[in-house]
Amino acid sequence: MLREFLRFELRYQLRSPVAWLIALLFGLLAFGGMVSDEIQIGGAIGNINRNAPFVILNYLAIFSVLGLLAAILLVAWPLLRDADLRTDELFFSTPVRKGSYLWGRALGGAIATLGVYAVVALFMIVGSLWPSQDPNRIGPFMAGPYLWAFGVLVVPNLIFVGAFLCLLAVTTRRLLVVFLGAMGLLVAFLLAGSLTSDLQYDTIARLIDPFGGRAVGRVMRYWSATERNTLLPDLSGLLLLNRAIWLGVSAAMLAAAHILFRTYRSGGRRKRAASTTPAVAAPPAQIAAPAAIVARTFNSTTGLRQFVHQLRFDAVSVLKSLPFLILLGFGLINLLTSARVSNRLFGTEVHPVTALMLEAMRGSYQFLLALIVAYYAGEVIWRERDARIAEATDAAPVPSWVPLLAKTGALFAVVLAFLFIGSAASIVHQLWMGHTYLEIGLYLRAMLLDAVPFMLTAVAAVFLQVLSNQKFIGYALFIVVFLLQVVLQSLHFEHNLYTFAGSPTLTYSDMNGFGHLLQPWAWFNAYWSVFAAMLLVIAAAFWIRGVAPTRRGRWGHALRSLRGPQGALLGALTVAFIAIGIWIFYNTNVLNDYLASDVVLDRQAHYEKAYRKYKNAPQPHITDVYADVDIYPAERRVEIRGRYQLMNKTAAPIRDLHVTLLPGSELRVTSIGSAKLLSDDREAGFRVYRLDQPLQPGGTMELRFEVLRAERGFTNTGMPPSSGGGDVRSPLNYNGTFFNSQSMFPHLGYNEGGQILDRNERRKRGLGDVPRAAKLEDESARGSMGFPDADWINFETVVSTSADQTALAPGYLQKEWTKDGRHYFHYKMDRPMLPFFCYLSARYQVKRGEWHGMPIEVYYDPKHPYNIDRMIEATRKSLDYYTANFSPYQHHQVRILEFPRYARFAQSFANTIPFSESIGFVADIGDPGDIDYVFYVTAHEVAHQWWAHQVIGADVQGSSMITESLSQYSALMVMEKQYGREQMRRFLKYELDRYLADRGGELIEELPLMRVENQDYIHYRKGSLVFYRLREEIGEENLNRALAAFIRDKAFQQPPYTTTIEMLDYTRAQTPPEKQKLIEELFAKIVLYDTKVTAATAKPRADGKFDVSIEYEAQKVEADGVGREKPLAVDDWMEVGVFARQQGEGEHTERALYLKPQHITQNKGKVEVVVDAAPFEVGVDPYNKLIDRNPDDNRKRVQ
Amino acid sequence: MLSIRNLSKNYGDVQALREVSLEVPPGMFGLLGPNGAGKSSLMRTIATLQDPDSGTITFDGIDVATDKDRIRRTLGYLPQDFGVYPKVSAQDMLDHFAVLKGYVQRKQRAEAVEALLHQVNLWDVRKRKLGTFSGGMRQRFGIAQALLGNPRLVIVDEPTAGLDPEERNRFLNLLAGIGEQVIVILSTHIVEDVADLCPRMAIISRGQVLMSGEPREAIGTLRDRVWSKLVSKAALIEYQQRFTVLSTRLIGGQPLIHVYSDARPEAGFEPVAAGLEDVYFRQLRAHGGGAAHT
Repeated sequence: MLREFLRFELRYQLRSPVAWLIALLFGLLAFGGMVSDEIQIGGAIGNINRNAPFVILNYLAIFSVLGLLAAILLVAWPLLRDADLRTDELFFSTPVRKGSYLWGRALGGAIATLGVYAVVALFMIVGSLWPSQDPNRIGPFMAGPYLWAFGVLVVPNLIFVGAFLCLLAVTTRRLLVVFLGAMGLLVAFLLAGSLTSDLQYDTIARLIDPFGGRAVGRVMRYWSATERNTLLPDLSGLLLLNRAIWLGVSAAMLAAAHILFRTYRSGGRRKRAASTTPAVAAPPAQIAAPAAIVARTFNSTTGLRQFVHQLRFDAVSVLKSLPFLILLGFGLINLLTSARVSNRLFGTEVHPVTALMLEAMRGSYQFLLALIVAYYAGEVIWRERDARIAEATDAAPVPSWVPLLAKTGALFAVVLAFLFIGSAASIVHQLWMGHTYLEIGLYLRAMLLDAVPFMLTAVAAVFLQVLSNQKFIGYALFIVVFLLQVVLQSLHFEHNLYTFAGSPTLTYSDMNGFGHLLQPWAWFNAYWSVFAAMLLVIAAAFWIRGVAPTRRGRWGHALRSLRGPQGALLGALTVAFIAIGIWIFYNTNVLNDYLASDVVLDRQAHYEKAYRKYKNAPQPHITDVYADVDIYPAERRVEIRGRYQLMNKTAAPIRDLHVTLLPGSELRVTSIGSAKLLSDDREAGFRVYRLDQPLQPGGTMELRFEVLRAERGFTNTGMPPSSGGGDVRSPLNYNGTFFNSQSMFPHLGYNEGGQILDRNERRKRGLGDVPRAAKLEDESARGSMGFPDADWINFETVVSTSADQTALAPGYLQKEWTKDGRHYFHYKMDRPMLPFFCYLSARYQVKRGEWHGMPIEVYYDPKHPYNIDRMIEATRKSLDYYTANFSPYQHHQVRILEFPRYARFAQSFANTIPFSESIGFVADIGDPGDIDYVFYVTAHEVAHQWWAHQVIGADVQGSSMITESLSQYSALMVMEKQYGREQMRRFLKYELDRYLADRGGELIEELPLMRVENQDYIHYRKGSLVFYRLREEIGEENLNRALAAFIRDKAFQQPPYTTTIEMLDYTRAQTPPEKQKLIEELFAKIVLYDTKVTAATAKPRADGKFDVSIEYEAQKVEADGVGREKPLAVDDWMEVGVFARQQGEGEHTERALYLKPQHITQNKGKVEVVVDAAPFEVGVDPYNKLIDRNPDDNRKRVQ
Repeated sequence: MLSIRNLSKNYGDVQALREVSLEVPPGMFGLLGPNGAGKSSLMRTIATLQDPDSGTITFDGIDVATDKDRIRRTLGYLPQDFGVYPKVSAQDMLDHFAVLKGYVQRKQRAEAVEALLHQVNLWDVRKRKLGTFSGGMRQRFGIAQALLGNPRLVIVDEPTAGLDPEERNRFLNLLAGIGEQVIVILSTHIVEDVADLCPRMAIISRGQVLMSGEPREAIGTLRDRVWSKLVSKAALIEYQQRFTVLSTRLIGGQPLIHVYSDARPEAGFEPVAAGLEDVYFRQLRAHGGGAAHT
């Protein structure tokens, strides 16, 4: 009998279009992901093949989560279908065993779902063999990954999902509950993911993911490109445990479903309801008298009043319904979790300022609320029809526009309710976290603004429902439109003029408010609101009252009804729509350049193709900079009148000057001696001037220029167009101007910063291999320090801004005055400095501290007082350490300056450190155990005053090791003095995680530290690990002595600039001979360890001490640039430790009973030590000082 | 007076209404016809829910097709298969309908709702959710909804289908209580509904009006022409072939047939007093519709 049900179900599913449609949709997604770079969900970047096992597993893992939605229709629905079609009693009155029915249906559905996955896999295989594929990015076909993914992920997940849905279906018998359950599972899954995203919850994160994707992901997290291209995870350890747990859970749910399944009707609820209300006694049959006549009035306000009533009636019915409340609950949970988690850095939380709460609300509502609105559009529009009262209401004397508008209004109420309750919950959250600076007005404003896009979505959903005249077709159309938008975006169709309800992201900055984003936001939303109104007018024309006519009749009717005043309204709206559209187009595409992201890449490619040939053309160097800079914050405008002193430092005369400026600003060269403009490429910002008299070696000349930049009108994103050259996101703001000399000052010679680094984007544009840094040994490249047109410069500037703002630039304030309502500041640097400077202007509060009488100043927004003292303290401690161990501080002032959160970094200029609003200023370092990253970032930036601003490397490989890795090391030392070794250990764990995880995402080639080519994960993350280990191995004093000597000899040097080779020479000089090989391994190679304690035993001795025996394994490999590994012999000093804890207490009570470096030379071995107290845990490299691929197995509990 | 002239409506190839013409005076008017005869199409067209392909309907001089709003203000409509929002109370739901019917003033609305709940005898259960109502109570709620706003044209489409005899009685009494100056069109396939209640009626089948007039008059035309006989089951088919069998009913398991004939068809047939049912089946037979079983 089971077979009969199974056969029937399979046939039914094969004949219905649902399974096919889902398979096609998923399959096309998978295919698209395989063949294009635009849909990126599998992680096929850089050196990772498009069909790498890593990618295949990621895809199938993601699809097996998405499959939850498919399973609702394919597995759960068959169990509910009979009840819906009222055929259930037909089946259950036959002598069928309930198991046959239940499992026949469910199994049939499950097989159909599996078929969907088979189609997905097929599309992936076809995609990987597609002729358009770049053969460089496709590995050989392997069946293994597909089989592995099906065996470990797809099939077990299908069992889990099926069991979960079956259980819901048989116990509640309501599709809505099944749907809500599925939504709940998805939300819980996402929540668990974000709650456990921090490193400290790694183990739990691997176990609680019912889909296993995260467990698999964590196994592959540290894999190199080669491993990702070739390996499959071992089914062992936590992954195996995860699969076992969830299969167990699935089995339990299946058993429960079997037991709880009832074949008779569940009349329970109805019976209860009936029994609580006494049956009404039948009144006698008599002829009723007509009721008294009550008068009505029909006048011009009747329709309006009916509208208000209908709106309230429908809104209340939605807002009071259980599903809505459940969905609201999902939304709130999502919101509060992401508010806590999303801005965490190194596990440290932030103050829940309103700006961040708004961001969390936007992020967590985005898709959820859009889907809820779409769902309720179908519910509300067809409410009368579903309840079978539509004919009565349609025949009532109500104007036809009333129901349409009232129902749309009810959806608006849903949106507002969501946002209002979200705001209220955010406020409660803030108070709960002890944050009492409440910005109610801001919440209200943001709520009304954020509601608009959702309301537009609501109108679109209503329109599609009305037009399709069928709920599910309406839903399907909505999904199609939704997906189409996503696809258009990914194909670089990014203009908000054709992206429905598209508008710039309305980032709120505490410094700059909604700032310049509000205006474009308002125009785009006005534009789409008019469009939505047009949709409503058309929907009204198609609105069906009574019986639906034939399609042709319907169109005819709609067209007829659009001839009258409705048509006039539609016409007026169309005119308004076009007019606003033209205005927007004028702003975004005429006043500004509209550049889709691929066009930006095309321009970068053009720049490289046309001008890279000048890369080595000799150019004069800038020696002196003077600039008058007038900032007009309210107009978002700046005028720069500058003067460069140039000198020919080469040995040959220079005829041509290549004057460049990143696009976006207008450059006027006002004086360049007697020279002729040979070419002027405005789009690329590249000009060639020919000097009448070539500039002789040693000769100087003056270049005078003006740079004008005004943000005119507005752009598509609200932000200035990106030049691709790495400029600050929004330099000119009402409050919080910040720009630097790279982007807003002219330069000489080809700028390598604007080149495309993505290998695949280059290949598409025929650019050949990624241009690489000059080789470390390339002596000819040592003439430049990375700023190609200058060495150390003299700097002086007069900067003015509006009267209420303070303007800052490097140097010392010479004079400050006000003239004509403008605030002037004259800054001058008293010694040569790096040719890199910045300007900031804002309404600042200033906090002053001092260090041995030297001023330390923090310029910050009054809303962000939290960590100012911490920054000053970190600066003082840094100055203490660096001056004591490296060299004196060359300036006599340190300033930290806050800038708006449009960009997220801190950067060090001479005596001047701009620091983004979004890092540090709102960090909440409440708990003593928190990693104080404000302290760390400050110490790092102050360290740059030595590493970069005193010693800077030549523009060859390894240069960023000198600036960044040494700053990391310096900051670590200051932090360790302040917070102790324990916090270092936790900090370094994050660094290790980031290094290992990011090396797998390397786009080009991983290099050893001393050859790093500006790769973040190497010069920051690995830099921290390497220098900390070096410090442990050779001692802090020796290392600092080496660094001090390096600074002494290389600080402020003229070309040729120093390199990591020289830096390591100084280090080697302070390193004992037996550690010389270690230096080689740390700096010149990529060496990875894997140590592991395999057994740990302890025996009490007669004298009260304990014999502890530790068995370990140790592997060591050397990897090449793409992660191919070869084993190395282990020959290292590793710490071996034995630890005690207080009974029943946590890690914070840990005490080392024994901790000594041991010389480990075997892959397997045993260490025996005697300790004084009962040991709890032992470890080999217990503090993870080595770069260990599995850092978590270095410790083991004593048996 | 409601005048229907040459009304036609097609759904694709199906002719739902063919040249229907009727004059309906105030009072109860029964519209009798088998399932699928076009009754509901006609009702919906009168109730402004559907436009005819051709023909006109006028009510007291108002053209239904062009002046729907005016018709709706004077219309009460209880559609066939009328549902409810199960989680809303009778009072709230009727209040909602009252707004739709134009009672936008709170006070008048409350009065109208109360009066109707009393009239249909649902006042005591007004707070109960409609989902807990029995079929009869729902129909009474439905007629309350239709009577809101004192309509002069009331259309009730198959209201008694599925009601038990007591509820049906109660419902018909409600209809009978509607004022005499109001046109009440009762569409039904149950002959007794019309026989009990309607001074005027029409029979409609396959989209055509077969007859219209007063039931009594129609019954009079069959006087002495309806004969009945108990026959054996085996002979039933033969009788059906030989005579115009109007209806067959089982009495104690044995078929009792009614036959239309100007004279006694054969021995054993007894004359019976004709009823409206005989009129109905006579009309259907004469136009080649309907089965001989009821």
